[in-house]
Amino acid sequence: MASVQDLKRRTRSVRNTSKITKALELVASARLRRAQSRIEAMRPYAETMRELIAGVGRSASSLRGLPLLQQRDEVGTVGIVVLTGDRGLAGPFNGQVLRRAFALERELRGEGKQVRFVVIGKKGRTTLTFRGYETAADYVGFADRPAYADAQAIAHGIAELYTDGTLDRVVLIYNAFVSALTQRVTEQELLPISADILETDEEERRDDAMRGDFIFEPEPEEILARLLPVYLETQIYRALLESAASFQGAQMTAMRNASKNAGELIDTLTLQMNRARQAEITQEILEVVAGAEALT
Amino acid sequence: MAETHPKFDVAVVTPEGDAFRGEAEMLVVPGAAGDIGVLARHAPLVATLRAGSTRVYLDREADNVVELATGPGFFKVELDRAIALVDDAVDVKEVDDARAQEQLEAAKAELERIDAGESTADRWQLEQRIKHAENQLTVSGRG
Repeated sequence: MASVQDLKRRTRSVRNTSKITKALELVASARLRRAQSRIEAMRPYAETMRELIAGVGRSASSLRGLPLLQQRDEVGTVGIVVLTGDRGLAGPFNGQVLRRAFALERELRGEGKQVRFVVIGKKGRTTLTFRGYETAADYVGFADRPAYADAQAIAHGIAELYTDGTLDRVVLIYNAFVSALTQRVTEQELLPISADILETDEEERRDDAMRGDFIFEPEPEEILARLLPVYLETQIYRALLESAASFQGAQMTAMRNASKNAGELIDTLTLQMNRARQAEITQEILEVVAGAEALT
Repeated sequence: MAETHPKFDVAVVTPEGDAFRGEAEMLVVPGAAGDIGVLARHAPLVATLRAGSTRVYLDREADNVVELATGPGFFKVELDRAIALVDDAVDVKEVDDARAQEQLEAAKAELERIDAGESTADRWQLEQRIKHAENQLTVSGRG
């Protein structure tokens, strides 16, 4: 039986921990709101970008010579971009992305392909280094608050690995933001860029006819060649923002659960402590009574 | 009598949000091949932009102009709506020196990597980013 002193000490330690988890929960929920508003803020840019690419793609006479669009006949090496957080204490957030990445790696290796990892976030890097992988590139230190320039750096790095032939296909795995409570692990094809983005439906073609011909400055092919890398940047930027929001959501949930558990633990410990104290008192009374009886 | 200039919708959009959205009489953007001035009812146009200064003329009579230092991007006019998509835009009155300096160093570091043969990133894009950062620094130095 633990003594009253022991129980007191444990209660105090649990209470201190619960203070930390409560604080983290509040911080995460405040940051979550900010991260969500940044996703909102980029939406007009992403939408206009998509319209622009489709429009320019329609007018371009040839799509040849655009390396980012070219499907390779033979896919030898697949790059898996793992997007994790820089910090832990967020429940399954980092683990589930990594688990999916390793599952995909096994699958691809089973098909006889090579796999190289590109890792974003300290947590992912630590895990991969620990498991003895050599990464093709790693990017850390901004997972909490990604800037567009970070997405540009990553996009450049990946596009380069693709064009120089190190990678023949690039897949991104990240936590897509569904709601504050739900994050969905998502696999997204980054490269080659799917030609679907250049396709348009009936309605858009009608709109085109109504607007008349665009003046292109420079030629549409040249504009498209500039647009595609920027499209890749926006894809990555969106994933970074979603992952950052997901992280805050996951941390908020994890910390709320931790606070709740701490509360339950404190209740149990307090009960045990009161029992132990009562037992001590009863014992002392018994001793006194027994002593008094022995005297008479 | 001042003639009234027709207005049209103008938006300067960055991944971090709208830098400007509203109606204006005239818009001047830094096209890759030279500045492009756009008035209401301009023909449909798609162009690439270099880093430079984007000027939104809200009211030409009153000389009411919003000037933005913008990074490289794209420009589209259709249906009396002009949209500039740029990777960064800062109002020249609100330039953040430290931030511009950071952008400058990041872009320069990457350019050095290209020169060293370690990177094949789009050189033009990077040069534009450097120019954008320098632009901001000059503007704030003047102010």
